[in-house]
Amino acid sequence: MSETASQAVPRIEAYYAPTSLEEAVEQIAAGDVAIVAGGTDLMVTANGALRRIKRGLMNIRHVPGLDGIAETGGRIRIGALATMTDILESDLLRAKAPILPATADRFASVQIRNAASVGGNIANASPAADMVIPLLCLDAEVELASWKDGAVSTRTLPITDYFTGPGKSKREAGELITAVEFDAQGAGGHAAFFKTGPRPALEIAIVSMGFMARIDGGTLSDIRIAFGAVAPTPIRAPETEKLLDGQTLDDDLIARALESADTEIKPIDDVRGTAWYRRRLARVYLEEELRNVLEG
Amino acid sequence: MSKVIEKDILVGTRVPKMDAPDKATGRTRYVNDMVLPRMLVAKILRTDRVHAKILRIDTSKARALPGVHAVITADDTPQFGIGVLKDNPPLKKDKVRCIRDEIAAVAAETEDICDEALALIEVEYEDLPPVFDCTEALAEGAPVIHEDRPDNIAMVNEFSSGDIARAEAESDHIVEGDYNVHYVTHCNMGVSCAVADVDYDGKVTLYSQTQYPFIMKMDIAPSLGVHPGDIRIIQPPVGGAFGSKLDVYPYEPICVFLAQKTRRPVKLIFSRSEEFIASPTRQPVEFKIRAGMKADGTLTFRDIDTLLNNGGYTSWGATTPYVTMRTCSSHYRVPDIKYRARAVYTNNPFAGSFRGYGNVQATWAIETHMDRMAEVAGLDPLEFRLKNANESGDVSPQGSKLNNIDLKGCLQIAADKSDFLKKWAEYKEGWNKPGRYKRGIGIAASLHNAGGAKIHKSDGCGTILKMDDYARVTVITGASDIGQGIDTVIAQLVAEELGIPVRDVTLVMNDSATGPWDVGVHASRTTYIAGNSAKRAALKAKEQILRGAAKQSNLTWEQLDLRGGHVVQADNGEAIIPLDRLLRQMHFAGQDAELVMVTDYYEPPSEPEDENHVGDMSAAYSHAAQVTEVTVDTFTGEVKIDQIWWVQDVGKVINLTTLEGQVEGGIAMGLGYGLSENLKIENGIVKNPFFRDYHVFTAPEMPPIDMTFIETLDEEGPAGAKGIAELPTIVPAPSIGNAVYNATGVRIYHPPLSPETVARALFDADAGKAMAAE
Repeated sequence: MSETASQAVPRIEAYYAPTSLEEAVEQIAAGDVAIVAGGTDLMVTANGALRRIKRGLMNIRHVPGLDGIAETGGRIRIGALATMTDILESDLLRAKAPILPATADRFASVQIRNAASVGGNIANASPAADMVIPLLCLDAEVELASWKDGAVSTRTLPITDYFTGPGKSKREAGELITAVEFDAQGAGGHAAFFKTGPRPALEIAIVSMGFMARIDGGTLSDIRIAFGAVAPTPIRAPETEKLLDGQTLDDDLIARALESADTEIKPIDDVRGTAWYRRRLARVYLEEELRNVLEG
Repeated sequence: MSKVIEKDILVGTRVPKMDAPDKATGRTRYVNDMVLPRMLVAKILRTDRVHAKILRIDTSKARALPGVHAVITADDTPQFGIGVLKDNPPLKKDKVRCIRDEIAAVAAETEDICDEALALIEVEYEDLPPVFDCTEALAEGAPVIHEDRPDNIAMVNEFSSGDIARAEAESDHIVEGDYNVHYVTHCNMGVSCAVADVDYDGKVTLYSQTQYPFIMKMDIAPSLGVHPGDIRIIQPPVGGAFGSKLDVYPYEPICVFLAQKTRRPVKLIFSRSEEFIASPTRQPVEFKIRAGMKADGTLTFRDIDTLLNNGGYTSWGATTPYVTMRTCSSHYRVPDIKYRARAVYTNNPFAGSFRGYGNVQATWAIETHMDRMAEVAGLDPLEFRLKNANESGDVSPQGSKLNNIDLKGCLQIAADKSDFLKKWAEYKEGWNKPGRYKRGIGIAASLHNAGGAKIHKSDGCGTILKMDDYARVTVITGASDIGQGIDTVIAQLVAEELGIPVRDVTLVMNDSATGPWDVGVHASRTTYIAGNSAKRAALKAKEQILRGAAKQSNLTWEQLDLRGGHVVQADNGEAIIPLDRLLRQMHFAGQDAELVMVTDYYEPPSEPEDENHVGDMSAAYSHAAQVTEVTVDTFTGEVKIDQIWWVQDVGKVINLTTLEGQVEGGIAMGLGYGLSENLKIENGIVKNPFFRDYHVFTAPEMPPIDMTFIETLDEEGPAGAKGIAELPTIVPAPSIGNAVYNATGVRIYHPPLSPETVARALFDADAGKAMAAE
C-alpha cells in the first residue's frame, strides 16, 4: 500500500471587490471565487486548512443593497450583509421578531458578532448554525441572485427546503445570497432560543433549539420548533408541532411531545458530543420550554 | 542637621509587573515578531500516518520550485535523537511513530512558497499495525514502536518503603480506585517559533522560546553536530511556555539545519493547529490505587500502580513520576508506600513537562481517593484530611523534610472562610430530593516543591550585578522569564537592598552569552533560587558601596546603610552622601578606582534523590488548599463554579499583584483541566486541534476567587518566600470533582467533568438505582 502525502493549501491569486450586484454575480458566474462577507467561517477554514479554499476571493461588502433590516408590505427583509450585532440591536426585530435578537445574543463573541453576517451563516450550511434556527421557525425565504443571459436573475427558496446536508444546500455555484425575508405577521408571538454550553456564548452548539407559538388562554397554536446539530441539516420538527397544535399543555402531552421530537431528530456522534447526549439535550430543552409555557 | 531617610520596604508591596504596559499595548516584540535581514521562512512536512515504514521520500519537485532555498530530509542531517531518552531524531528516516512526525522541511522566500513546496514532496509509506493503549502495548506480540525496546517500555520508576503486606493486614478498611487522567496541552498564545542564524565560522545563534537556555545548549548540540560552546541562545519575550519549552523539540534543530544549509537566517513558526498537534501534551496517566486505614481513619498504606502513555517518543512526560511519586508518598502521613510507574510507548503523540508536572495528575487521583476514604471512615472530608495532615518537622518516606509548612492551616482556613462543613452537610441532604439544579462543595489540597528540585547536578542560578555612575543597576540573571514576573521580583529584592527605586533596576535575562548559568524556569524555583542569588549579589554590592563610603567617614561600613538613593547612618537614618555621587567618586578615583560590579552563584541546600528515590530534593515545600462551590445542572450536566476559596502557604508575599496574577492564571488552567480542556486523541489522531473545539477557560467564565496567603517565612527563601506558581494549577480539579459528588452523590473518576461526562454519569447512576429497585 502506498500513497502520496499532500497538504495542499492553494494560494489566493485574485481579489475582487465589486461595487454592484451585477458585477458581483457576473464574476461569481465566471469562476473560482470564495465569497467574503464577515469572513468568520472562511478564515477558520483557510487557517486550519480544513478544506480547499478557492483561488479567487470576493469581498461583497461594497455591493449596495445587501445590508439593512427593514419592513415593507408586511414582509421583513434582512440583507445578507446584516451582522449579528445589527440583528441584536435592531428595534424592528426586537418588536416584531424577538427570536432573532434572542439568538444573536447567544451567537459567538462580541467580536465575531460584529463581523459575522446572516448570509454567511446560511451559506456555510453548518448543521449547528445558530441563526438558521430562528429563520427556520419564521419560515423565512432565502433570496438568491445569479447571472443569467446578461442580467441579474433572482429566485427565492424556503429555508425549510434550502439545506441538503452538512455544508450543502440548493444554492447553485453561481448564486449569491442577497437577503432573507419572512412575514411580519406571526413573527412576534412567544419565542425562545436554547443552546448548550457552559460558556456564555462562545461555543459551537452541541444542540440548539428554537421555539415559537401563539398562546391563548393556555392553548397553543402556530407552533414552530426547530433544532440545530441533531441532523445533517438544521431541521423543523413538524410532527411534534402538529401534536401540540390547538392543544392545552399537561404532563401527558409534554411527555408525548418529547417522544415525538425524539423520533424526529437524527443525531450522530462527533467530537463535540455523542448522539446520546444530543438526544438528551434536545429533550431537556423542549421539556424546559414546554414547562415554561405551562407554568406561564 | 542633615535629612533623615526611612527604609523603603518593597517586599510585600504591589509593584506593577514591569513588562505589563508593553504587553498590554502591543509594544512587546516576541520571537514570533522577529525579522532579520535576508531571513527565510521554514515549514515542516509532517506525516499523516501513525505507524508506518518510510519507503521513499522524493523532494525533487519541491527543490525545483522557484523561491525554495533548501529542502531537507533525514538524509541531509545527523541522525542523533533528542529528548530525554534521545529516541527522537529531528527528521525521521526509516519509520514514523506518531502523527506529528517530521518527514522533511523547506526554507523558502515566503510562507506560501513553503506550503506549495511541501505539497510537492512525495512520501511513500508502508503502514504498520499501530497500538494506542498502554495495556495493549505491553501485551505479548504487540506492535513494537522502537526496535531497541521490544517490550515497549520507555521508563520505569519504582519506590517502596515499609511493608505493604503487614500494613494491609493491620488495616481496617482498604479502598481501591482507578483514576485515568487525560490529554491536555499548554495553549500558549505565542505559537512555537524559532529563528536560527549561523555565522561564517559555523557558530549558531538560536532565538528561542526555551525555558532552559544553558542546558539546552548541551541537549541540542549533538543533534546539530555542533559543539555546545558554539551555540548561543537568545530569548526574546515569549507568549507563554508553561513547561512546554523545557526540552529540545524537532522544530528547533530543523530550523538550525536549514540556516546551516542556506547560510541565511531562518524562521520557523507553527500554525495554531500545528501547535495543538505537534507540541507536547500533559502526560496522561492511568492510576490504580489501593490504600488502607485504621477504623479511626488513620492512613496505613498506599499501593499505587500507574501506566503512562508515552506516545512515540520520550520527552519529560515519562519523568513526571518523579513528582507524582512525591505526592503519592508524601502528601498526608502514610507510613507504608509502594509506587510503580511504567511509561509505555504507543503510536500516540507524546507528553512533555507542563505546569504542575506529574502533580496535577497525582492530586486528582490522591484527593479524589481521600474523599472516598473519608466517606468509608465515616468522617467528613475536612476532619479526615486534618487527621492525616503532615506537620512541620515531618520527614516523608521519600526523605522530604517538611519544615515550615502549614497544611492544616491551609485546610482549616479554606474550610472556615467557605463555611465548608455546614454547606457540605446541607448539600448532601439534597441527593435524594427532586430538582434540576444541585449545589455542592468540595475540598482538596496538595503538596509541591517550593524551593526548586535537584534533578540536575546543580539547581543553582548565577547573577552579575553592576551599578553605573547614576546609581542605576543592571542585573544580569541566568533566570528565564516566560511571563511569570521574575523580572519584577528580582528588581524589588535588589532595589530594597540598595535603597533605590524599582524603576532604576534593569534586568538583562535573554542571552546565554551574557547570562550566568541557571537550570531553567521550572519546579516553582525561580523566585526562590534566582531571587536568592540576586539578593545575595545586591548584598555584596551594598557591602562594596558601604566600604567605599566608610573610607570618607568616621563610621565603619557596618554602621552605614543605603536608603532613598543615599548612604545613611544606619541607626538614625541621617543622610551622608547621595549614592550616585559616591559611586562617581569611587569610580573616578585614579589608581584607587573601583566599579561596583559583583557576581553570585546560589546553590540551594537540596539534595538529589538516591537510586531508591530518597532525598530531600527541594529546599522548601509548601501546600495549598481549595474549596470550590458548584451548581450542577443535573439535566445537561453543566457544572457552574460559583465560588473558589484559595489558601496557599507562600512563605512570604513578595509582590501581591503578581502573586494574585499567578494564582488566577493557575486556577484558570486547573479549572480547564477539571472541566473543559480535553485534547481528543482517537487512533493516534488529534481530533480537535482548534480553540473552537478545545475549550480553555475564558475570562467571562472565571468565578470569584477568595485568596488567603499564609506566611510561614521559609528560613532559606528570599525574604522568607517560597515558590508559588504550580500549586494553583494542581489543586482545582479534584476540589471540583469532590464538589460534584457532594452535589449529586455521583463520583466521577476521570476528568474532565464535561457536561456530557457529568450528564452520562448521572444518567447511569439513575439507571443503576432503577435496576437495583426492580
